[in-house]
This record gives sequence, C-alpha cells and structure tokens, in this order.
Amino acid sequence: MRNEKPDRIPTRPFVAEFTAKYAGFTCQEVTHDYEKAFSSVRKCAADFDWDAVVGNMVYVWTGLTQAIGLKYYGIPGIDISKDTGFQYREPSEENAFMKPDEYDRLIEDPTGFLFNIWLPRVSDDVVPIGQEATFRNNLSFLKGGMAMMNYFDAFGKQNELLRKGSGTVSAISGILKAPLDIIADKLRGYIGLCSDLINQPKKVLAACEALMPHLLHIALSGADPDKNVPITIWMHRGCVPFISPEQFTNIYWATLKPIIEEIWKRGHQVLFYAEGNWDAHLSSFAELPDASIVYHVDKGNIFKVHEAIGHKFCLSGGIDNLLLSYGTADEVRDCCKKVIDGVAKDGGYVLDAGAIIQNDAKVENIRAMTDYVREYGVY
Amino acid sequence: MKNNIEQKRPPGVCIPWEEKLKELPEMPGDAELAKNIWQDIDALGYTYIWHCLLSF
Repeated sequence: MRNEKPDRIPTRPFVAEFTAKYAGFTCQEVTHDYEKAFSSVRKCAADFDWDAVVGNMVYVWTGLTQAIGLKYYGIPGIDISKDTGFQYREPSEENAFMKPDEYDRLIEDPTGFLFNIWLPRVSDDVVPIGQEATFRNNLSFLKGGMAMMNYFDAFGKQNELLRKGSGTVSAISGILKAPLDIIADKLRGYIGLCSDLINQPKKVLAACEALMPHLLHIALSGADPDKNVPITIWMHRGCVPFISPEQFTNIYWATLKPIIEEIWKRGHQVLFYAEGNWDAHLSSFAELPDASIVYHVDKGNIFKVHEAIGHKFCLSGGIDNLLLSYGTADEVRDCCKKVIDGVAKDGGYVLDAGAIIQNDAKVENIRAMTDYVREYGVY
Repeated sequence: MKNNIEQKRPPGVCIPWEEKLKELPEMPGDAELAKNIWQDIDALGYTYIWHCLLSF
C-alpha cells in the first residue's frame, strides 16, 4: 500500500452480497442479520484465502436503520426482493432532506442542523423540534444508539475472528466522504445540488468548508491506531461529468484536499475508492504527497491511471465487474494478466474488482481471479 | 488544516461543557473528572448523528 514491492500481489476483494451467495444466504439475511453477514465474510476469506477483506461490506445493517426509522433505504425482503441488495432511495428534488434556503443554518451549526432539522426529515419516527415528543421518537434514539454501539463493537470481534481463522486482516478502518458528495448524497440530492452550484455556488462552498472539520474528525475517530490500514473515502458524484471541471477544482477538490493532507500529516493513508471514472482528475490527485493514498480504479482506465499517478501511489482494482458476472473464467484470467503486466510489474498494486462485488458475480470467476493472481502475481 | 469558521458546536461536541457547567452548582469535588466524563459521553451523541449521515 506504500507503493512498494511485496512477495506477491495482495488480494483484497471488496466482497458484498457475493458473500451471501457463496455462503447460501439471501441478501435479506446478510443485510438484516449482521452475524450472518460476518460469518459469510469469514467463510469466503477462509475458502478463497484472501489477504484482506472488509469485515462486512454489506455495511448498511438495516436492523439499525429500521430502529432509527431511516426512510431512505429499500430493505431486502421488506421493501424489495429478498435476493436484491439494499437500495438507497434519493428523494425527489422537492422532497430533499435540506431545502435550498437552509445553507446558512447548516453552515452556522452543522451538528445542530443534523439533529434538529435533518434527522426528523429522514426518520419516520423522530419528530421535529417544537412538536410533541412521542413514544416512537424517544425509542428511536434509544434503540438507534444502542444498535449502533452494538454493531460497531461487533466489528472488533469480527476482525479478530478473521485474523485468527484465516489470517485475513481488515482492509479498511474509518470512513470519509467529500463535503460536496455528502451534500448531494444526504442533504440536497444530486439534482438540488446541481441547481445550487449554479444559483448559489458561494453558499455551497461555505457549506463544504463548514463540514470539513467534522468529516476530518469522524475519519480520524475510526482510524487504525497502528496506522497500517487506510481510512476509506467513498467517492460518488464529485467528478466530471457530474459536475464541471471548475466546480471540481474550486469546490470539490478545494475542500477535500486539505482533509487528505491533514490525515496524512497524522500518519494515516486514505484509500480513494473512486467509484465510476475519475480519470479527468488524475493531475489533481497527483498533487498529494507520495504514498499518502491508495488509488482504487473502478471504471477508469487503469493503465492511464498507472501512467499518471502510479509512480506516487499504490493502485487497486481495475478488474471489470461485468466480466466477473457475465464472462468466463478464461476471460477473467486474461483480464488479470493484462492488469498485472500493465501496472504491477514493480509492485504497488492490490488485486480487486473495480466495484463492490455483489451477488451477480460467478463463484468460478471469483475463484479464477483469486487463484490466477496467487500464481502469476508472485514476484 | 485551516479552520476559519467559528461554529457553535466544534467537532466531537453536542453540548459544550461550558454550557453544561452553567447549569451545575459549585462543585465540591473533582471538576476535571466531571468535565472529562461529560465530554466523553457527549461525544457518543456526536458520533451517532454523524455516522447516521455518513455511514447509514
């Protein structure tokens, strides 16, 4: 991960609902019962002999979200088919969780805004400030808080079982999202944010700046104390063509780069999980200190990425998910060979699919990917 | 990282100790202990809401 040459290319697949398919569970079972999700991950890690995994990549435990009353998830087996992964349901522009004239309130007091304005809108149970408290309102905080503590504590045990059971280590520790992404994802919605970027760009920038210290704080609060495992940033819609190059430079990157630099100053790497295609922004990422990030490639061109930033950062990913779902084992092996030959000759590469591996991936293709790299990826 | 914005509640805080302190009588015991425990537990509330936003 520090862009050096190991004995062999490490395998670190971000396996989500694939683990359910392999272990014989439905999506509902691993999404709603995290112990089943944990056991599925352990089974896969042991059977495939992976080097690192996420303790539960079906990360949204819907038992918890249901306890809080969060209304933006489609829960397998309840709202959608039990065999479909959970879905995030972005509200329409007029029903956005934050209104276009509420930026000043967010900027003035982000934490207060979340508790007092945002949470009552995203929860079926939490009532707005000033309205009469209800049984379900009170219970939402109690059940939600205890469930969250229960879930986070369980990850510690899960990571220990993975280490002892199969020698597999946790791939990530801590969560980060870019200020602009979180405004699109959970506050204004993507359409609303796009309108704001045109109509009130200074407010958007000020809101991103107001969020920065909080996002840094949460990222560091979950970071690996030994500083071996990276904090992950889940990168969503902050790239061209979702926003313009100017908006990327002046808002997205201007309010993310200082967070990454501060995290690196404190000795932690960040895994850039660049969902989609971020190739238009490689020169910006190259501004970061050497080895400060691991750059994960989804739909981007991994060979172009390697040329642009491979001398500075370790890369991961680049194995096409469509191939894992619809291709043959031979095609998967060919793809792995091309990626290894193209970007991993001198180390600095971690094997993974481009995107999170869901239950459409074929077991024989995941096996082919893993086994091929184990043989061909030895230095 | 520069932080040019003065916020009512800094990172990690829901109800600042200074605000809570005004509600308390003069303490005969260890005020530092009271402050530390208040801040530790208060931070759990902060963790809750920000993880609702970021993780769930």
